[in-house]
Amino acid sequence: MRVASTLRFLGRAFAVNAKAVLEYRVNFFLQVFGMMLNNAAFAVFWKVLIDRTGGVGGYGFSDIMFVWAVSSTAFGLAHVVAGNIRSISRMVREGELDVYLLQPRDVWLNVVCSRTIVSAWGDFAYGFIVLALMPGVGLERWLMFLAIIPAAALVFAAAFSAAETLAFWLGDSQGISGALQEFLLSFSLYPETIFDPGMRWIFYTLVPSAFVAYVPLAAWRGLDWGAVGIVWAAALAWLLLTRALFRAGLKRYESGNKMGARI
Amino acid sequence: MTVIETRGLSRTFESRVRPRGFAASLKSIVKPEKRIVNAVRGIDLEVEAGEVLAFLGPNGAGKSTTIKMLTGILHPSGGTARVLGLDPARDRMKLAMGIGTVFGQKSQLWYHLPASDSFRLLGAVYEIDDATLARRTGELVERFALAPYLETPIRKLSLGERVRCEIAASLLHKPRILFLDEPTIGLDVVAKREVRVLLDELRREDGVTIFLTSHDIGDIEKVCKRAIIIHHGTVVVDESMKELKHRALKRKRVGVKWAGPADSSLPGLEPLKHTEDAAKYEVDTTKHRLEDVIKVLADRGEIVDLTVEDEPLEDIIAAIFASRSEEEAHVAAGARA
Repeated sequence: MRVASTLRFLGRAFAVNAKAVLEYRVNFFLQVFGMMLNNAAFAVFWKVLIDRTGGVGGYGFSDIMFVWAVSSTAFGLAHVVAGNIRSISRMVREGELDVYLLQPRDVWLNVVCSRTIVSAWGDFAYGFIVLALMPGVGLERWLMFLAIIPAAALVFAAAFSAAETLAFWLGDSQGISGALQEFLLSFSLYPETIFDPGMRWIFYTLVPSAFVAYVPLAAWRGLDWGAVGIVWAAALAWLLLTRALFRAGLKRYESGNKMGARI
Repeated sequence: MTVIETRGLSRTFESRVRPRGFAASLKSIVKPEKRIVNAVRGIDLEVEAGEVLAFLGPNGAGKSTTIKMLTGILHPSGGTARVLGLDPARDRMKLAMGIGTVFGQKSQLWYHLPASDSFRLLGAVYEIDDATLARRTGELVERFALAPYLETPIRKLSLGERVRCEIAASLLHKPRILFLDEPTIGLDVVAKREVRVLLDELRREDGVTIFLTSHDIGDIEKVCKRAIIIHHGTVVVDESMKELKHRALKRKRVGVKWAGPADSSLPGLEPLKHTEDAAKYEVDTTKHRLEDVIKVLADRGEIVDLTVEDEPLEDIIAAIFASRSEEEAHVAAGARA
């Protein structure tokens, strides 16, 4: 009953968020296509580079494109559904959690799912377009892609939220969360093998790029559903960590008197 | 039945003292100096079901902090609170089903969307099924006369219309207690009157317990039956509005207009303001008999108009704030001596 109720709530929240951004349709489509164009420019860059070098760190062009497709679509999905994952620090600092604390819902879920980021819709769509343009992608690979995306999106959402949640203790964690976001995105868009083996452990722990790029690629290359399971396990572990952190932080919340509206 | 009960409810905040000078700033990075602010200091409260309570105090008195502890937003630093028999800090989600809140400064409606969309989402938030939600929305639309702007984006509504939508939204799940923090802030006189009428209706027809903070004395006079005044985080007055207004009986405002120029000076009574043919006095009825004052005024010349008014509630409350500040200053001076 509670699961059904939560799903109904999330569905309504998504519908309201989508409707709110579609109030300004021209802006919406400009931002969506702008982001897809931006991502496409990188594809051109990688095509030129790999045509000249024959590959980077053991990755061919299709590997790079798959990593881009997963990262982009998962990053997009995280921000389309849970657009406030990178606003938690500001909301804590400015005392904007009051409205969510007054409602009979899990505060973290309610906060992060109460907004959608317009440009992320472009990121979300980009991965599907890349995959559709890639030659030789059969039904099983499509299904694998669809199974990986929600888990990788959870990793993005949970990791970004965890860093933002540190604001309960630090007052302002935007510096730390900004750095984590940059690292997580940057590392997930390049081949794992170009990095020093000594620092690769970071990608499986503090900056979980491995679970939004490298492990999905391993799964994709070998049609290894076990690797998909690993991505899901990592996603659930990050989710539990983030929720525990948020719950502990909430006890330190100090509210505020800033005027506010939900947009 | 008691719906709100607190014992020694307290809340402290820690804030960093900003050092002056470069050297002190560097030192504060390693060893920051902290200051403890006691926002609420041991509040004891009991509110019965159906009461309409004004929770008053000057800025910084601890009103909003108390409301935030009663609604589960803030965790208390000390003492206990029970609202609808629940601990707000521990049973926040359960409690949220039984209370409604309207914070004048914070909206729960989507700014770019019509109220109807927010109502649909709130229906899912409060687990109201679609048929019940449609019926309840219909009732509230009728009662709050929202039909003309239910489908208009909130950003295009006047502040008064927005507040009506906010109050309606807070009542969708039929709460037993409604907390309102400055609900009429920024409203014009007509909109204020409309909100007060609606709150009064809620009390009479639905028996909702209303816990209201406001700086607007009109809100309090028109809506509330009991007043609690807090100052520096402690309760200084807890009495019925009748008793509070009774304080006004001790002071009367007497206005007089003579047919021509008259001497406005009275023995032991300075006029608050005067012209050559009119004057206004504040009469402390424990020192001067009203009858004697009027007799003296009549002796000074032919009276063409005479008014006797109670002291405005606003002045009574301001006097309570001021007297508490003076008392605390004396205590502090005594402690220093």
